[in-house]
Amino acid sequence: MAIVRADNLSKAFRVADKQPGLGGTLRHFVQRRWRTVDAVREVSFAIEPGERVGFLGPNGAGKTTTLKMLSGLIHPSGGRAEVAGFEPRRRQRRFLEAITLVMGQKQQLLWDLPPLDSLLLNAAVYGLDDGEARRRIAELAEMLELGPELTRPVRKLSLGERMKAELMAALLHRPQVLFLDEPTLGLDINAQVRVREFLEAYNRRHGATLLLTSHYMADITALCPRVLLIHQGRLFHDGSLEELASRLAPCREVRLELRDPVPAETLAAFGEVQQLQGRQVRLLIPRGQLTGQVARLLAELAVEDLEVRDPPIEDLIGQVFREGEVRAGAMT
Amino acid sequence: MGRYLKTLRRFWGTALASQTEYQANLLFDLLAMGGNLAGSLFMIGLFFQGGRGLGGWTWPEALVVLGIYTLLDGVSSTLLRPNLSRIVTQVQEGTLDFVLLKPIDSQFWLSTRTFALGGLPEIGAGLLLMAWAARAAGARPSLAVVAAAVVLLGTSLTILYSLWFVLATTSIWFVKTWNATEVLRATLTAGRYPVTAYPQTLRVLFTVVIPVAFLTTVPAEAVLGRPSWPWLLGGAGMAVLFFALSRAFWQLALRFHTSASS
Amino acid sequence: MRRVARLARVARVLLATQYAHMLEYRAEIALWALSGLVPLLMMSLWIHQADMGVAPSGGGAASGAELGAAIGGLSRVELARYFISAFIVRQFTVAWVVFAFEEDALQGRLSPMLLQPLHPLWRYLTSHLAEQATRLPFVAGLAGIFLLLVPWAAWWPAPGRLLLAVLATVLAFAVNFLVQCLIAVLCFWSERASALERLHTLAMLFLSGLMAPLELFPPAVRQAAQWTPFPWIIHFPARLLAGAELDAAAGFAALAAWLALLLPLTLLLWRAGVRRYAAMGS
Repeated sequence: MAIVRADNLSKAFRVADKQPGLGGTLRHFVQRRWRTVDAVREVSFAIEPGERVGFLGPNGAGKTTTLKMLSGLIHPSGGRAEVAGFEPRRRQRRFLEAITLVMGQKQQLLWDLPPLDSLLLNAAVYGLDDGEARRRIAELAEMLELGPELTRPVRKLSLGERMKAELMAALLHRPQVLFLDEPTLGLDINAQVRVREFLEAYNRRHGATLLLTSHYMADITALCPRVLLIHQGRLFHDGSLEELASRLAPCREVRLELRDPVPAETLAAFGEVQQLQGRQVRLLIPRGQLTGQVARLLAELAVEDLEVRDPPIEDLIGQVFREGEVRAGAMT
Repeated sequence: MGRYLKTLRRFWGTALASQTEYQANLLFDLLAMGGNLAGSLFMIGLFFQGGRGLGGWTWPEALVVLGIYTLLDGVSSTLLRPNLSRIVTQVQEGTLDFVLLKPIDSQFWLSTRTFALGGLPEIGAGLLLMAWAARAAGARPSLAVVAAAVVLLGTSLTILYSLWFVLATTSIWFVKTWNATEVLRATLTAGRYPVTAYPQTLRVLFTVVIPVAFLTTVPAEAVLGRPSWPWLLGGAGMAVLFFALSRAFWQLALRFHTSASS
Repeated sequence: MRRVARLARVARVLLATQYAHMLEYRAEIALWALSGLVPLLMMSLWIHQADMGVAPSGGGAASGAELGAAIGGLSRVELARYFISAFIVRQFTVAWVVFAFEEDALQGRLSPMLLQPLHPLWRYLTSHLAEQATRLPFVAGLAGIFLLLVPWAAWWPAPGRLLLAVLATVLAFAVNFLVQCLIAVLCFWSERASALERLHTLAMLFLSGLMAPLELFPPAVRQAAQWTPFPWIIHFPARLLAGAELDAAAGFAALAAWLALLLPLTLLLWRAGVRRYAAMGS
């Protein structure tokens, strides 16, 4: 049974339209103009317990809004959400104890005090007894390689140490479902890798479900066998990264190094010529014809070197987003 | 219940730990408190010049009212202002979300999260003045009188809290509410004096619309050993009404917050 | 002359932008004006107290100006006019330099301000003036409402008196502004300037005549209070506006003396403070 389910989940909200300046203020005062923004439009998906799912999309695509709807912070304007058997918007105690939301750009730790104080506070809020709280703190500290940092004021910690402590505060109550919004934001590569490894270890140890957004493609490729791609509020892809790549790019790229230069007309018979520089050639060949065409290339031309690869996933996604809704609509 | 008590202990433990500058501020807190008390006593003294009473109250009786006012002011500085002024910041910075995600009543969290040591001397001074003045006025504390006084002081604090909380809650819509709280504070200074010292129209206003009478005068009557059932019931009714209002208003604000934000 | 012309132009531009800025906060300022209603609460207390003196048995026998109720030599008409005047004078003498300065220092706006070829105190002064201009209609409205509640006290001061009262209010504002600047400047040395401001507010509340006209103070206290700037900031202009009998020359002399003392002191301390600030390199 799915632990996170969204059925036609939608969020539209009204924003006031105000022109700048005194005139605009007065006009706004007399006659308010509203504009409806569709942040999320009829998004549906289901996530099984223990899955690690990446949430992709450009800024303003509706990722954070969806996470907030799933954690009960904002009410959907249409559709339904169900998390751990609860309806998030009702914010029942048992539901809140079953989830957590990590927000990379906000912090809940008390700035002037050591993280340990915030952790013990959370333990009290979640009704953990002291012994259990200390056991869990020790376990998480070991997994995150935190030690003396826990008794140092938060303001004296590095960004990476702070994020690890934030994760401890968010996971102390051992939630089944983790919503993570940019958990690696602003961290250096090393710290990013640590956080990533920790999340995977936590997922394995407790069978927790992960749904995370990130600006860093590496987070997603390393951590998430499954991705949801959202664009302009709509779900655009639900599946593995490889499937996404093949959907976005029906062709693969073949790079050739020839012994002697060959005219473009000859090469055009094998595929679409992207680049021809002396003996260096880049060809695009449809996936279905790939093996046949490569065999022909090797047989008919004097090939010194041949390499087949996918165009980089980030470029592909970026390309989709630039081309906009027309194509997005065509593909769903 | 146990969870709430334990949480409260942690709340105030961390609040205490983060108040490092306490000693340096103590002198100023004491000076401000002394000055405020001296000024208030002086003003009440002016009303009694030439052998006049104040709204039918004798000098020590009026001081019981001032004692209770000082106590309430101390509670405001200790608990109400430090907590409720934070709501605005939490709305602005978006950290209110963390509070809403906790499996604990959000109004409880926002109202008790921290406290300021600076207001404690004022609470002490208010209690002392109240007790001393009641004695000087010849009040004999029987068990019934003490019980009534405690109940009415409780209702007074509840009403004060609810007024503050409702006003602080409006920051969900307006963000800037500092001046609105100033208006509330200015209005509540009316509670320095017994409500009978005001002309008829203000007396009605302070009893029915802005319950200033229930904040100081009514509990003072009880402390002085003249509690009456109508006032006791009226005070309790007001407290229940205002507290329910504050909770309903917070729910309304939350509904707005959860449907309007993105 | 060129210098004066430049200053005038700067002042005009500053005032215009600050006024536009303040207009954005008009709701805030209206509420703030409303929070100055303490003198009006005190008015009702004192008038009621005067009435009680006439009919000590109580019972609401006294209502209306013709009864001739009085306290400490002040009739209820005089009391009403005094407190309404005090309310108005208070509205136009409020200063908030300490808070603005603290905020600027905290937000790091202070250093760029010190780089500009304009004394930062000018900036605060113009924003105060702009705020008062925004406040004007609300104060007029509130004063009108309160006069409706005590219609028997309505009065219109003689033109000469009105002019003197306006002048006294302007000077009183200057004194209060400078006192606040002095406290703000102490921020350069101590982080407790705002705690000091709390004490200043208290002294202002009880000694300026906001809660009771100084005529009702015991003579010794009154004399002591007159050695502080506070009665001259509220009590003196309010009495002028209310049309009471008083020694106007003495009042203006006191205001001038305080200005003569505070202005050089504030500027000197400011210069020393800026030097210290620059030396700390923060």
